[in-house]
Amino acid sequence: MVYLDNAATTLIKPDAVARSMASAVKTLASPGRGGHEASMRAAQTAFDCRETAAEMFGVCSPENVIFTMNATHALNIAIRSLAGRGSRAVVSGYEHNSVMRPLHAVGADIRVARGGLFDKNAVVYSFRKELMRGADVAVCTHISNVFGFILPIDEVAEMCRKYSVPLIIDAAQSAGAETLNIEDLGASFAAMPGHKGLYGPQGTGLLLIGENVRAQPLMFGGSGSNSELMDMPDVYPDRLEAGTHNMPGIAGLSEGIRFVRKIGEYRIKRHERRLIDLAHRLLSGIGGLELYYTEDAGAQGGVMSFAVADMSSEECAESLSELGIAVRAGLHCAPSAHASAGTDKRGTVRISVSAFNTEDDIYALFDAMKRIKAKKL
Amino acid sequence: MTNYLLICRSLTYAQRASKVLKSAGIPASISRIPKEIATNGCGYCVRLAEKWLSRSLELLNNTGLQPIKVYAWYGYENYAEV
Repeated sequence: MVYLDNAATTLIKPDAVARSMASAVKTLASPGRGGHEASMRAAQTAFDCRETAAEMFGVCSPENVIFTMNATHALNIAIRSLAGRGSRAVVSGYEHNSVMRPLHAVGADIRVARGGLFDKNAVVYSFRKELMRGADVAVCTHISNVFGFILPIDEVAEMCRKYSVPLIIDAAQSAGAETLNIEDLGASFAAMPGHKGLYGPQGTGLLLIGENVRAQPLMFGGSGSNSELMDMPDVYPDRLEAGTHNMPGIAGLSEGIRFVRKIGEYRIKRHERRLIDLAHRLLSGIGGLELYYTEDAGAQGGVMSFAVADMSSEECAESLSELGIAVRAGLHCAPSAHASAGTDKRGTVRISVSAFNTEDDIYALFDAMKRIKAKKL
Repeated sequence: MTNYLLICRSLTYAQRASKVLKSAGIPASISRIPKEIATNGCGYCVRLAEKWLSRSLELLNNTGLQPIKVYAWYGYENYAEV
């Protein structure tokens, strides 16, 4: 199988990820739940992961790196910490339902700062307009999961600082493929999965918290600390990590992050972009495809959507699957992004690459699409 | 021999403190806070020998990692806050 669905999860991981997880199952107990060797070994593994993530993403302290189940879990904590009923929430026009649904659930007044696809200036203009109207919180995805559009996060963060609006960054697609520094941006929160660009296993995610930002727990329970108090502890990470940790996941995530840091986000990004450029060049030669692509390498990452003139996106993805190519079709849990790009009626077929994809994978996609189109004629 | 227990606000905090001390060549270990001196239930502390106490507190103050409290531990259930 040629796997081109990395925006959902990176299926191919560094070998060290599975090895460390298998070892963790046998050797790591619960961190913060004992003073014995197996517990302290787990605590050291968790601490190493927090420390590495803090360094990588410019977080003020390892304590402000919170382990979550996924990016959605992290976004729920961030959104529920900053937004409530009637809160004025400004969001980009490219948000995933992991942002839109929690905002809707708390009863926030959602204001969408729409901008055309790959048009960074339009996004900045819309954000400024909405922030000037007054806002209690802003949420901005760093890279669209549908189109790979790299949003102007520096400019959005600068405006949020100017208007004193706390910013939540959804780094679901950018973590590991774009540099991100929470402290420099002055963001309140950044949420990211462990299982995509950080090459960890499913069931892992990170919530990064800015300095002096107070987050509210989403779950309550044992934290291994201050156990005589009925309230969750005031300090991070204990405040937000109720219950037993996913130690095999954290051990695997550590190895994934180590892999990314060894190669470097810039090299991964360059590799992914080359593959997207190749995909665009090849697929452009096939008639009847609408490709959502920009030549501006600063505006599109390792994701590209396309639509087929005489075929539904789901039908195309199914045909590709039969030919051994894994892609994703439909609305990608991001109807708002499709509304911004005008693709909400039919959805798109999405390809998304990782550090492990090769040019051969893209040629395989090209051959498969040629066969599918030829069959339709 | 008297040991000292530097009470930390969390396990992660204790890990940060311990790392600073070890980087400076000070033998320090993380252990559970004994129930007799735990203010709000379970927690962690950094344990070290008496000869390292003064230097350790100086280092931790300089790095913003001050302990919540410091106890001298004379053995078994014999503790005194410093």
